[in-house]
Formats: sequence, structure tokens, C-alpha cells
Amino acid sequence: MWQTLKIEWMKVKNYRTFWILLIITIVSIPAFNYSIYDFGNNSFPKVRGQSLFGSPFAFPDVWPMVTWVSSLLFIIPAILIITLTTNEFTYRTHRQNIIDGWSRKQFIYVKIFEVLLLSILTTLVVFLTCLFFGSVLNKAPDGVSIFKNIQYLFYYFVQMLSYSSIAFLLSMFIRRAGLSMGIFFIYMVMEQFIVALMRNKYHQDWVNYLPEEVNDKLIPSVFERLVTSPDAKKNWENHIPIFLGLAALYLIIYYVVTTWRFRKADL
Amino acid sequence: MKNILALNSITKFYGKIKALNNVSFEVPEGSVFGILGPNGSGKTTLLGIVTDVLKATSGTYSWFDEQPSEKQRRQLGTLLETPNFYHYLSGERNLKIAAAIKGKDPNDIQRVLELVRLTERKNSKFNTYSLGMKQRLAIASCLLGDPPVLVFDEPTNGLDPAGIAEIRQMIRQLSKNGKTIVLASHLLDEVEKVCTHVAILQKGQLITAGNVNEVLVNEELVELGASDLERLAGILKDLSGVKQVKHYENILQVFFNNGTLDLGSINQYCFEKGIVLNHLQLKKKSLESKFIELTNNASN
Repeated sequence: MWQTLKIEWMKVKNYRTFWILLIITIVSIPAFNYSIYDFGNNSFPKVRGQSLFGSPFAFPDVWPMVTWVSSLLFIIPAILIITLTTNEFTYRTHRQNIIDGWSRKQFIYVKIFEVLLLSILTTLVVFLTCLFFGSVLNKAPDGVSIFKNIQYLFYYFVQMLSYSSIAFLLSMFIRRAGLSMGIFFIYMVMEQFIVALMRNKYHQDWVNYLPEEVNDKLIPSVFERLVTSPDAKKNWENHIPIFLGLAALYLIIYYVVTTWRFRKADL
Repeated sequence: MKNILALNSITKFYGKIKALNNVSFEVPEGSVFGILGPNGSGKTTLLGIVTDVLKATSGTYSWFDEQPSEKQRRQLGTLLETPNFYHYLSGERNLKIAAAIKGKDPNDIQRVLELVRLTERKNSKFNTYSLGMKQRLAIASCLLGDPPVLVFDEPTNGLDPAGIAEIRQMIRQLSKNGKTIVLASHLLDEVEKVCTHVAILQKGQLITAGNVNEVLVNEELVELGASDLERLAGILKDLSGVKQVKHYENILQVFFNNGTLDLGSINQYCFEKGIVLNHLQLKKKSLESKFIELTNNASN
């Protein structure tokens, strides 16, 4: 795997688009969080320079806050994944790699590994962003562990891995960059629309378990967290293992299907 | 002699279309093996299957008498259809990737770039290359690490006449150095000029395979000229071994049964009959007419 990964590195290390997208992926996380932080800071009433509600960017709320804000940026790493994957099809280098002596397994496994690496990277950036907002921009409240609520970081990782994997699955099947991005984006929006419609209008619960929504459920939006009753919160917490389990199941399905197809099909 | 490549009843369907029908043949070590056929006859499909980018519907193949795997593919230098490289990387960087995948020494890159005369442009991005340069880079990639077997699919595609001659010269040189070469082509004279063995494909059907001299020549052709062609034609009909005499411009084309031809005795025979030849030349039957004949017979 190490040797294969080194070759993947040779493919991207002199590729400008890769670096631009990677830097945008990394920088957008603290930048977007800061703009939300700044907006919140200047928009709500303050008493003696302190926000009336307490800052959502202070420990321990910073974990659900920053992970939620960052998760809205899911499209950026997805574009990176789609670009790198569909490039192989555009240049037909997926064939050449096999002809030159990779097994089909090697090709697909290293791509999956890259999706995993990118999700780890964004999670790391989110972790550092949380620490920065929690400790530097806000004073940590006394007596509260800064690691309280850190489980949201793990939820964020699962979310990113899932969304990036959907992007990867689409690139492997569609093989064209523009079309993959379009369908990925439309799917992500459509699912939200269907979920909103079915849940709010027809009170259907099964929509909670759709591929995107099951991940969305892991990190409630800041608005949801403000209005949720303690009972509903308890209920949500009880469902976390189900959401995680289903997210894992979806991941397994994506990868089994993609790997199987790539190993059996004509390239 | 061991077989480098052996195909055993390879059949391939694309949906309902049968691209290859039960194709079997062997490529002996040290041969230059031509796969000859018109466009769409299944040549690239065949090479795609043995390099694992396509899956056969049925049938098996082996490289070096072993079960096929990626390890054997690293022993081949393969150019399939079009040169496939990362457009945004330079020629040299693309070769570094190829060398790493093949497990070959990257120090060999300068040598192969020199061989295809791309050293000066090695730092230019692939997408700035002309069609011929792309093709030459692909050939350079095949030569990395000096593999014992080369697989070329239409290697002279996109090259100018000088480039074509160079590639043919290179193929002959590689063959002289003991390499086994599998060469797919729709160009008859390409196969005739460089191959020792040939398999002829038509519409996915293997028409014939074997030694080039056996497959492509079963009669011999001599061109004769004299001041009185009519009289010459008359006496040649009585010469033993003659199958057919044809007028062709201002000479005669005379077809002989295989193995009966002897230029010296033809000359002597004519002289004894009182005819002085002013032209006597041995010609094999042109491959083109042979090829059309072979493929026509199969379709009838």
C-alpha cells in the first residue's frame, strides 16, 4: 500500500488544481467558521462586551458549532475527490495503470484510502479550528473540560467520509467530472428536499435513514439545538448508535459495489 | 520453444455484438507476432483482454505459461490503442510514474527518452506534445526497464513517414536483440515488413495463424519481360509449375506453384525457345491481395 500511495503522490504533487483545491479545503474551514463567528458577534445584543446568550464558539459548545458549520462545506473535498478520480478516466490512465502492472484491486483500494485520508485531514483541521476558537477567541469557562462534546468531532469525520464516499462512488460510475459534480450536488439537495417534505408534511420517519440524512442527524444544526426540548435531545442521543451503524452500513455498501464493479467491468 | 502468450478459446461479447469468437493461438518466444485485421476486427479487444483492461466473456489466456496476473504485466511493455498519460505532467514525470508502477529503475528514463528523441522536450507538459510525440512517449514507456516482451497496438499511428520508418527499424532491432513482439496492425505492409508470425482476424474470427511465410505465401510470382510478350506468354504456358500468366502493363506476371520456382531454369527455358528476357524479377504475391483473398474467403 505504501508503494502504491507513493505513486499516487507522484500523480498529484505537481498538479496545480490539486493544490488549489486542497488549500481551499483546508483554509475554508477556519475562514467560514470565522465569518459565522464574526457575524454572530456583531449581530446579537451584548452586555458589557459579552454576548447575551454566551458564545456558541466557546467550550463546550464549540464542538457541535464548528463541526456543524464545517460540515456545510462538504462540497469542497467532494470536488477534490471527483477531480482526482475522474481525471484517471478522462486521461484513460486507469487503463494504463493496470496495463503497466497494477492489479485492479490496488487501483481501487488506494483511491478509497485517499478518500479516508482526506476525511482525516479535514477532521484534523476542524479539531484545530475548535481549539483555536475555544481557547484563543473565547475564554474557556471554568470547571468545564475542553473535551466535553468532543464526540462531535467523530460525527464530523463520519459525515465527511460518507459524503466524500458518495462523491467517489458517483465518479467511479459516471467517470466524467462535470456530470459527477452535478449529480452529486443535485442528489444532496434533492435528498434534503425529500426529507423536509416527507417528514414535515407527511410525518414519515423513514426519511431519517436516507444516506445523507442519517449523517446529517449526527450533527444537529445550531438552530435545532437551540429549540430542542430535553426529551427530544434524549431521544436523539438514543438514536446516535443507529445513525452511526447505518452510516457504516452505507459506507460498506458503497465500497463493496464500487470495488466489485471496478474489478469485473471492462475498463 | 516456450510460448510467451497463449490464447485458449477467447470469446468476447459487447452486449449482443460478438467482438471475438473462440480465438486461440500461441505466440512463440522470440517471434515478431503480427495480429492483422481491418478496423473493428477485434485486434484491440484481444490485446485489451490479455492486458486485463477488458474481461473475456469466456476462454482463458496465459503469459509465460503461467496464470495471468499483474506481475507478468510488469514484464511487458504495452502500448494499447492511444498513449495514456497525465496531461498536466511533463513527459519525464509521466515516465517516472510508469517506471514506479512497473517496478523499473527510474534511471532508465533518460535512455528511453533518448531512444525516441524526446530528451529535449522531457520537461514539457504532455498536453503540449504533438500526436507523434505522444506516440513516441508511449513507446518510450514500453521500453522502460528493457522488458522481454513488447505489445504494440498500431505503433505507427500518428507518426510521419520518417517516424514510421524509425519505429519499424526499432522493432527489427528489438527483435534481433531477442525480444518477443506482439504487433497489432491494419497495415499489411507493416506486418509484411517486420513480422515473423501472423494471425489474421476478421469480424472477431481468427482466419489463420502461423509463420508469416506459410500463411501469406502459398504461391510465388515472377515478373517477366521480353520484346515479344505474346510469344513469351505462349511458351510459358508449357513450363512446368506455372499456374497462371497475366498481362500486367508491359510485362507478364507469372504465378508458380509453391516450391517449383527457379529463376535460372526459367531464363534458360526461354533462351532455349529463342526468347531473350529483358526483365526477370522475383515477387512474392502481394500481401494486400493475399489479405483480401483470405478475408473474402472467410466471409463467403
